[in-house]
Amino acid sequence: MPAKYLQHFVKFYKAHKRLPTYRELMQAAKLKSTNAVHKIVAKLAEEGYLSRDASGKIAPGRRFLQLPLLGEVTAGFPSPAEEELVDTMSLEEYLINRKEATYLLKVQGDSMIDAGIMPGDILLVERGREAKENDIVVAEVDHQWTLKYFRRKGQQVTLVPANKKYKTIYPHEELKIAAIVVGAVRKYKN
Amino acid sequence: MPKAILHIDGDAFFASCEQSRRPELAGKPVVTGKERGIASSMSYEAKARGVTRGMPYFEIKKVCPEAIFLPSDYETYSLLSKRLYAIVRRYTNVVEEYGIDECFADITGLRRTHKMGYIQIAKKIKRELDAELGFTFSVGLAPSKVLAKIGSKWKKPSGLTTITTRDRWLFLDKYPVEKVWGIGPQTTAYLAKQKIFTAGDFARANEWWIKNNLTKPFWEIWQELNGASVLPLATEEKSSYYSIQKFKTFTPPATDPEFIFSQLSKNIENACIKLRRHKLMAKDAFIILRTQDFHDRGAEIQFAKSTSRPDEVITACREVFSKLLRPNQQYRATGIVLTGLTSAVLQPDLFTSMAQVQKMVRLYEGVDEISAKYGKHTVFLGSSFKAQQFGAHQGERGDAPERAKNFLFGETGRQHIDIPMLLAGV
Repeated sequence: MPAKYLQHFVKFYKAHKRLPTYRELMQAAKLKSTNAVHKIVAKLAEEGYLSRDASGKIAPGRRFLQLPLLGEVTAGFPSPAEEELVDTMSLEEYLINRKEATYLLKVQGDSMIDAGIMPGDILLVERGREAKENDIVVAEVDHQWTLKYFRRKGQQVTLVPANKKYKTIYPHEELKIAAIVVGAVRKYKN
Repeated sequence: MPKAILHIDGDAFFASCEQSRRPELAGKPVVTGKERGIASSMSYEAKARGVTRGMPYFEIKKVCPEAIFLPSDYETYSLLSKRLYAIVRRYTNVVEEYGIDECFADITGLRRTHKMGYIQIAKKIKRELDAELGFTFSVGLAPSKVLAKIGSKWKKPSGLTTITTRDRWLFLDKYPVEKVWGIGPQTTAYLAKQKIFTAGDFARANEWWIKNNLTKPFWEIWQELNGASVLPLATEEKSSYYSIQKFKTFTPPATDPEFIFSQLSKNIENACIKLRRHKLMAKDAFIILRTQDFHDRGAEIQFAKSTSRPDEVITACREVFSKLLRPNQQYRATGIVLTGLTSAVLQPDLFTSMAQVQKMVRLYEGVDEISAKYGKHTVFLGSSFKAQQFGAHQGERGDAPERAKNFLFGETGRQHIDIPMLLAGV
């Protein structure tokens, strides 16, 4: 439903170089209350088209500017380039599955160096997800976190480093997995 | 049909945010608020040792010498707070963001959508919060907000308590009336005279008596306690303000009038930034000076015309400030409250030309643009210089939170990636 209201935002944005206020949208979309607008905005925000700034005003979301300006919104024919971009995703969407569960973790040690994880790398780790064979996990051992491959043989879980200098860990007690590594970022230049 | 309202409350939220991102803090007494010198949040281990909210540092050291005292990292707490709301919104869009660590949610009529009962929905939300944020939440499920709030407090930490209209007495008869949301000490004292001590006594009181002897909010509480939902969820984001206030403590305490005024000046600049952000102007102000032994002195000021310009506010405050200030007295905090807020419109008066007014508007638009690009207080008024020269706190309390000290390559002191960071070495 809210998708059909997107065109109003796009239209307004093209004309005014800013997003409409609740009231302006209410008029443009012929809605009866600002509460109806609020619901639409909330939904579009959830889908990433809109966001709200610190003061609660509507701002373009990460997907807003990727919107193809098709159909009645643009005069003339849409350019083929725009259509090709319909199914693109941002780098953030590519790297992150579950936004609310994802955290950053800066690597200090070299225990996973043979897996290509270098000291200084920024890892994207996800909480609340079950570890599968060969996942790289952040495991809790003696009140410390350690980065290892997660492997299981029958009942025995092992934590395997990717560096010959370190030993495989065989946890005795129940093992707590704090998070699972889903991605890594390395930035070389500003 | 009765409503299904959830109240969701983070357990020791700030302290838990810290424990969940540093494994070595798990199971230890952790206290946040170091930058203010008093406890703002305590882990359950610290609560068990007798640390209470607002307890000053020296007392914390006395009751719990091994307490780990950390500076607050509001950036991270706010990011996690947004995640709390976002996770709850996976199940309903009727969410009231009631506080940084709590929210209400209305899940009425959503059993079919989610193919499960209300208790299962509540459990699922709690499970996702606990797992994805890395610490626990307490949840109350009830037909009204007031009852839901009792539910979330009933079993803490990590409880899930359902209160139905039928079995509400099991809870209300054991719940002191002063702990009910919205009932303050004044009302509690009045109710005690009527032999009303528990929430149950209050809910059993005659409706006619409540309506005639108390104000409307208490009648609403009475109805909510009896299972009728009369308080709607405020799902709109906050956009109107009655007042804007900025109050800041600095250490060490100071006697130098210029330094103290510069602290006030900085608060005024901050308050005016907020005014301009919300496109508002203020007609009145109230300034507060707090001495080292916690005595407050304040004075009211009326501006000649509504303004959002710090230079005008500062000029108006300077005279009152010098009357308020006692020589050789040590001060620890200053504050400003701006009231009489109206939306910003240009009001030329007899004595200023429109051109001049517009010039100042353009000037502050420029200031705000510079701030947006290079950070708040990149340019500031000369009167704030002494406060801008140092951080608010010198010495140990000036300890910055971990996230503000170690930023990643490409981040700047003022802009960090909007994803919370785990702080363990791996």
